[in-house]
Formats: sequence, structure tokens, C-alpha cells
Amino acid sequence: MRRPVQTLLLTLTGIGLLHSALFTDTYLRYVKTGLRPVLIASGVVLLLLGLAAAAVRDGQPHDHHQHGDEPTDAEAHAHAHAHADTAAAADDHGHSHGHSGAPRIAWLLFLPAISLLFYAPPALGAYTAARSGTKPVTAHRTGFAPLPATSPLPLTLTEFTQRVQQDRTRAVDGRTVRLTGFVTPAEDHDGWYLTRIIFTCCAADSQTVKIRVYGTDAPPANTWLAVTGTWHPRGVLGTRTAQAALDVQNARPIAQPVNAYTDDLPLTPS
Amino acid sequence: MERTDEMVGVAGSAAVAPVGSPPVRRLRSWPLGAGLALTAGVAAVLLLGGTRWLNQPAVQAWRTVCLAITVQALPFLLLGTSLSGAINAFVPADLFARVLPKRAALAVPVAGVAGAVLPGCECASVPVAGSLIRRGVTPAAAFAFLLSAPAINPVVLTATAVAFPGNPAMVAARLVASLATAAVMGWLWLWLGKEKWLRPILRQRHTGHRHGHSRWNEFRLGFQHDFLHAGGFLVLGAMAAATFNVAVPRSVLDTFSGSPWLSVLFLAGLAVLLAVCSEADAFVAASLTGFSPTARLAFMVVGPMVDLKLIALQAGTFGRAFAWRFSAATTVVAVAASVLIGGALL
Repeated sequence: MRRPVQTLLLTLTGIGLLHSALFTDTYLRYVKTGLRPVLIASGVVLLLLGLAAAAVRDGQPHDHHQHGDEPTDAEAHAHAHAHADTAAAADDHGHSHGHSGAPRIAWLLFLPAISLLFYAPPALGAYTAARSGTKPVTAHRTGFAPLPATSPLPLTLTEFTQRVQQDRTRAVDGRTVRLTGFVTPAEDHDGWYLTRIIFTCCAADSQTVKIRVYGTDAPPANTWLAVTGTWHPRGVLGTRTAQAALDVQNARPIAQPVNAYTDDLPLTPS
Repeated sequence: MERTDEMVGVAGSAAVAPVGSPPVRRLRSWPLGAGLALTAGVAAVLLLGGTRWLNQPAVQAWRTVCLAITVQALPFLLLGTSLSGAINAFVPADLFARVLPKRAALAVPVAGVAGAVLPGCECASVPVAGSLIRRGVTPAAAFAFLLSAPAINPVVLTATAVAFPGNPAMVAARLVASLATAAVMGWLWLWLGKEKWLRPILRQRHTGHRHGHSRWNEFRLGFQHDFLHAGGFLVLGAMAAATFNVAVPRSVLDTFSGSPWLSVLFLAGLAVLLAVCSEADAFVAASLTGFSPTARLAFMVVGPMVDLKLIALQAGTFGRAFAWRFSAATTVVAVAASVLIGGALL
């Protein structure tokens, strides 16, 4: 890989990281919110590295004259720098102090850089949700607080599942709740799923929370909805046998929340 | 390219060991071949099918996961490669020789425990271990550090404690099993390891600061080279991991949870294929509720030490001959350590 290409690659990767983490929110499609400062710092470091590589480049051949008394390694490297077109790609090993070349495997780094800048893939959606099992909901340890009196009551999918399967006081019985998530078609066409994909670090460790929805035809996959309804009575409420399912009264399309990969109440883009 | 290799190699051989030996070319040709084949394949598919296939749901999910692994790992890779550049340029050559015990068998556990000071996930430790070897640290100790650092640092142990609330035994078991695996692998290297499996650059030990060169410039060039090199392998590993991540639906997992022995092996294999970051793998392990605690421990011990992106990174840093032997042996040792320590503590 020639030196100008290396400079371009470092700069592009840096700009790509800055573009996704600093100027837009696209990084949230791939990694958790907490990584943002680190991504911005990495973008700045890469950009500086690229700029430094561009700026210092011309100074290199002078080393040859200053250290002409080192005929072995220094000579070879002066050659490498002077004939950058032939030798720059070659000395990525063997001469660790003159790391002026980079192996051709580094070309692969162009893919994420260009992808981040020009062709960012969307957040994971119905395709992934349909193929994953339901995330086991953690046992609620502290006991359930009484539900607020507002109606419809906004709940996350996890909260709704916990209330249905673990709350012995059956507080959710007969209550109208509002859940938000995206649509995943059910394999047996009996209703559909309202789903959220959650991850803890990056999209590679994603988990899915699903609520079965009955009462309307399935909207197109990946549509974000706010669904109002009541618990679909199947199994014994407050025990493991209860199905996390909803009889829908009203389904309203919403914009995809900014925090699409959490199971929080939605933050809609302003 | 081979020709210029030889040229530089011959010029350098006056001062250092010969470089242009046949193994070097074999090692260098495979990432090149893989890269070329990949580029040709992508170009052919683009020409034949247009860009519409890029928006198929499966391809989109693959691109998202691939990019997610890369973006998530890039900051840690930068940390690791900047550290490795700094070790090469600024740390005095005899520092590690003075700090580490003289006997290699003693240096191994010391280096393993020292892994606790490198916060972050596994991508950072590969370039650091490479630079330690180049600075004259015995490879066995550097490998113990390489294996223990991503598993026993405070960030990862805290994440484990959060993922398994009220279960401190899991944190202790992870710490002990990871340290044991790292130490055993270090000693195994002393016993059976051969230096010829390593890339020639790691055998020369002539690197570091040169008199008359600017330390900052050396740092910058080393940093840049290591980052580009390891970054390319990271992308390769992310592609492989994303392929398994998308192709294997999670719902098949539960079919293996019944048998205690099979489930340990299955989760160890899953850790290799999924390439989840070591800071997040505790949460994934916690979600695998159908499996025994020992199987989940194996997932967390194997994951930070062996996975697809790590194998790619190690092949790039240490050489392919090393990477597959080391990864296979590490998997066996890590599973054994998990079973023993999981049986005792969990």
C-alpha cells in the first residue's frame, strides 16, 4: 500500500468515525451510547495520524543524508522512501523501525470507512428479530410498585412481560397499556409481534424482546408503532404460563426512536 | 512485490537475520490472496447483480453486524496499537528484563497477573503482546499476558458482576479459570512452542528506538503501521463473525442445552464463532439461561481468548502457523480449566 493511500485511508476512517459519532447519530445503529466519546476521540486520533503522515512525508528523505553513516538499515529505508512506488509496500516486515509500508490486508479497512461515510446500513430489524428467540426476562427482585393511574399506561416491552408473568398482584389485569416497538411478522400468521432489539455492547450481542399482538392484520415488517391494548388472556396472569400478548385496540405509526436499541420509553427525534 | 521484499531483505541482512526466507512469502501471500479474492468476488457480484442485493434483509443485517464489530473494536485497537508503538519507541529495552523474573517459568504467571492493568477488550492486547515480544520479553510471558488481559481486567470483571447479580462465585470462577488458562498456555509454550512458528519480525528482537531517529516519528510510524495491519485483519475477522452471527439463528441454541458435556463444548464453540467483545460477553452468557453455569463459564473464558476476529488478528501479528496451533491449544486448555474450576466453585 503506497503512502498517499495510507494517508487517505487513515483520514477517511477518522472522518467516517467523526461523521457517525459527532455529526450524526448513526453510531447508535451499531454500538451503545456510552462509546460515543471514545469513538470521537478515535476519529480525532486517526485524522491527526493521517494529517501527520501527509505533513511529515516530505521530511523523510532528509534522514538519509543526516544518517548516511548507517549503511545497512538506514540505506535500505532511504531507498524505500525515495522509490516509494516500488518499495513502500514491501517493507511492512523485517524493518520494524521504518514502518513506512502497510500490508495489503489494510485495504479491507476501506470497506467500513466508506460504509460509515456513504452507505451506512440500518439498525437491526425484523429479519434478526424473527430469527432469534425471546430474551428471557430477568426475575423482578424488589417486588412490584403499584401501577400509575394514567390510561393508557406507557410500559416498555420488558416491563409488560414482567407484569404479565411475575406480578402476583395482577395489577396489569384489565389495564389499557401503550407499548412501542417495531413489527415482526409471526411465522404462523396468527397475529404478529411487537419487538425491540436490545444490545449491551454492539449489534453482535443483540437480544430480542417480543410481545405477541392479536386483533389486527400484521402491518409491514419494521414499521414502528405505538400500540394501545389490554393483556390477551392466555395462561394464568402473574405466572410463567401467562403469554406476553396484547389484544390491540389502536395501533399508531411513530417515527423510529433515536434509542432504537434499548427497551426504554421512546425518545422521538425532535 | 516479492522482488522488492528480497531487495530490502538482502540490504537488511548485514545487520539482522535474513528475512527473505520462503516461510515469509507463504505467510504474506495468504492475506493478499484472501483480499484479492474478496475484492474480485465483490466486484463480480456488484457487476452482475447491481446494488439491490445490498439491501436484502439478510445482507443488511450482515453489514450492520460486521460494521458494529469493527466500529466497536476500533477504539480498543487504537489503544492497543498506540501502546505498542509507545512501547517500541519510548520504553528502554532492558525495562521488561529488569521487571520480569529472570526465569521464564516464573515470568509467565507474573505476566498473566499483569494483564489486569490493560483495560479494554481483546483487540487491544494482541498488538501490545506483539510489541512486548519485539522488546525482548520471552514469548511465553507475552502470551500469558495476551490471554489474561482481556479476561481479568477490572472493566470486564465489573461487567461480569453486573450481569450475574448476587452470584460472586461466577466472577471468582472467571478470574481463576482465565488466569489458570493463561499460565498453562505460557508454560505449554515453554515446553512445546517453537520460535519458527512466529513471524520473522518477532524473532529478530532488534527493534525499538534507534539512536539518531526522532522518537516521536518512530512512535507515529509504528502506530500507523500496526493499526493499518491489525485493522485489516480485524475487518476480515468481523466479516467471518458476522457471517456466523447472521447465518446461525439464536433459536437453535436451546437444542443443545440438555446435555451437560455437549453444552460446555457447544457454548465454547459459540464463543469462538460469535466474537462478542469481552466487555459484553458476560451479558450474553447471562441470557443463555438454559445452560449450566459451567457451560456459561466456558463461554466467558474461551470468548476473550479465542474467537474469529482474534484468530485473524493473531495470524496477522504473530503468523498463521502460530495462530491456528495457539488457538486450538487455548480452546482445549480453556475448556478444561472452565470444567475444573466451574465444577469446584459453581
